[in-house]
Amino acid sequence: MKTLYTTLKYSAVTLWSMFVIAPFLWAISTSFKDFNSVTSGVSYIPWLQFEPSFEGWKVLTKPASEGGINIVEPYFNSIFVTLISSLISIILGTLAAYALSRFTFKAGFVKNSDITFFFISQRIMPPIVLSIPFFLMLGYLSLLDTLMGLVMVYIVLLMPIAVWIMVDFFNKVPREIDETALIDGCNPYQAFYKVVLPNSIPGLIVAGMFCIIFGWIDFFFAFILTFTEVQLLPVAIVALNSSITPWWSLSAAALVSVAPLIVVAFIVERYLSKGNLSGAIK
Amino acid sequence: MAKIEFKNVGHCYDVSAENKVYALNPFSLTWEDGGRYALLGPSGCGKTTMLNIMSGLITPSDGNVYFDENDITNVITEERNIAQVFQFPVIYNTMTVFDNLAFPLRCRKFDEDKIKTKVHEVAELLNLTEFLNKLTKKLTADQKQLISLGRGLVREDVAAVLMDEPLTVIDPDLKFKLRRKLKEINAKYKTTLIYVTHDQNEAMTFADNIIVMNEGNVVQIGTPKELFEKPKTTFVGYFIGSPAMNIYPCDAVSDDEVSIGGLKLKVNTKLPDSQKSNLKLGIRSEYINVVNKKSENTVEANINLVEDFGNYKLISATNDNIQIKVKVKRESVIPEDKILLEIPPEHCCIYNNEELVE
Repeated sequence: MKTLYTTLKYSAVTLWSMFVIAPFLWAISTSFKDFNSVTSGVSYIPWLQFEPSFEGWKVLTKPASEGGINIVEPYFNSIFVTLISSLISIILGTLAAYALSRFTFKAGFVKNSDITFFFISQRIMPPIVLSIPFFLMLGYLSLLDTLMGLVMVYIVLLMPIAVWIMVDFFNKVPREIDETALIDGCNPYQAFYKVVLPNSIPGLIVAGMFCIIFGWIDFFFAFILTFTEVQLLPVAIVALNSSITPWWSLSAAALVSVAPLIVVAFIVERYLSKGNLSGAIK
Repeated sequence: MAKIEFKNVGHCYDVSAENKVYALNPFSLTWEDGGRYALLGPSGCGKTTMLNIMSGLITPSDGNVYFDENDITNVITEERNIAQVFQFPVIYNTMTVFDNLAFPLRCRKFDEDKIKTKVHEVAELLNLTEFLNKLTKKLTADQKQLISLGRGLVREDVAAVLMDEPLTVIDPDLKFKLRRKLKEINAKYKTTLIYVTHDQNEAMTFADNIIVMNEGNVVQIGTPKELFEKPKTTFVGYFIGSPAMNIYPCDAVSDDEVSIGGLKLKVNTKLPDSQKSNLKLGIRSEYINVVNKKSENTVEANINLVEDFGNYKLISATNDNIQIKVKVKRESVIPEDKILLEIPPEHCCIYNNEELVE
């Protein structure tokens, strides 16, 4: 019985892994092909089935004057915008979430839950609704086609995620922890950063990861709020396309663009499974 | 350390409401320095509210709180120098046991040498020395609760240590040891201890003064003996003692005799002249004697049930419609069906309007 269970379990995991990894393998294989290898029927293994070519990869670093499409600058732009906006969103979002979780706000019929919903509602709206206001606002501020403008827009988009996750997380951190810290002689700020925050690291990591993912993959706002000066990675990758689809360079670009997310996932995975909070109370 | 005084302190959570509902009705009370107090009452009677007012987590809507004559009603928690232990252990998970115990001292900027001595002293007292360098996550619930307690005891000058049912999560055996330890600490350091519980045994064995609360009111303050022998209200009679006090509606017949239904009983209380009917008589089941001869204040009753509790037997008997519970020694011989019971007049308490007539 136990062996059967183990066999089934491992088969299921293997199947799922294959399903997940297949697109990656396909992309890796394709990125080493050229026009001929792509069009001459199904093939997977370099050297055996087709002659590998590095054209797809070289194009990504060549300047436009040499017929390449350089994604190095957009890559760093994307990293900069994603990291800065995620960081600011997490800081502001965590503070807002702590306040929403611990203090009672009341303005007429507006209560804490309504304020929390207001934050989340920013993400419920279809993004296209926001495009014209954002465009006009950045226009007034002369921030169209700048990294600063994008950072500001992404903060608006990412902070609701941080607030949403952190409110939920702080609600699960027992209030007695704050109260004990106060009794032990902390002021409310010390109670927050000495006691509550260290207990909330798993939540911060989850929120940070979501912010990074949503910031990194955004195409829509990066596309409409930039023109020539500044380009982010998703836009640059789309710009690779031409009348003859360059599958090799698209694959290579796709691989380098998901790489940071995979690295982040590997780094934070162990923090997520640790469950730091279990046992803070009871 | 300090004398704590409540002057007309009361609390209502929603002050703006039209009909204010008090979680704690205004009352005055002095907690002597170095005393051991228990707050006893059923759930939702205002015990925790009272503690939170003392620690400053709640600012009372009415009245003032004094520590040694200083009005601290509006002083914030972190400046009150009070320690509080909650029902469930609250520990700082990300720190070691040592850092947990040192936390209140570090917050108050003690120097590290002093902190080290003090933490080791408290750890020794609570048998935590071997865990000092461990992360708190790995400890059991009762060890965690010891740490919570330790954080309260690590400060010498603390005004009072407030405990909100702190031993709920702890094994019965360890509970007993800890209670004794708390008593020792109180004796050694003269720390005022205030202990919230809904378990009367815990309150009786721990405190030298018990404050019984019900529905937001302080019902009676007294030593365990006073609460047992002269409960001030019928509520205290019901709530304290196991089984609860026998309480019967009665009418005054003369100034020292009452009748319960048809049954006439002498009492030692001088009955009020103004109120002849709607009185109540209370008698502890411990004070009722099983006798062989009929005399004054004896009642003949039919035995319904005899329960053996190991160290005593509890007889439930009826006379007409009057239910009588009698506690007897386990070795006493109990007749088959009928029993003669003596109700000693000196132990009868008379209640008028649920309050003791003295």
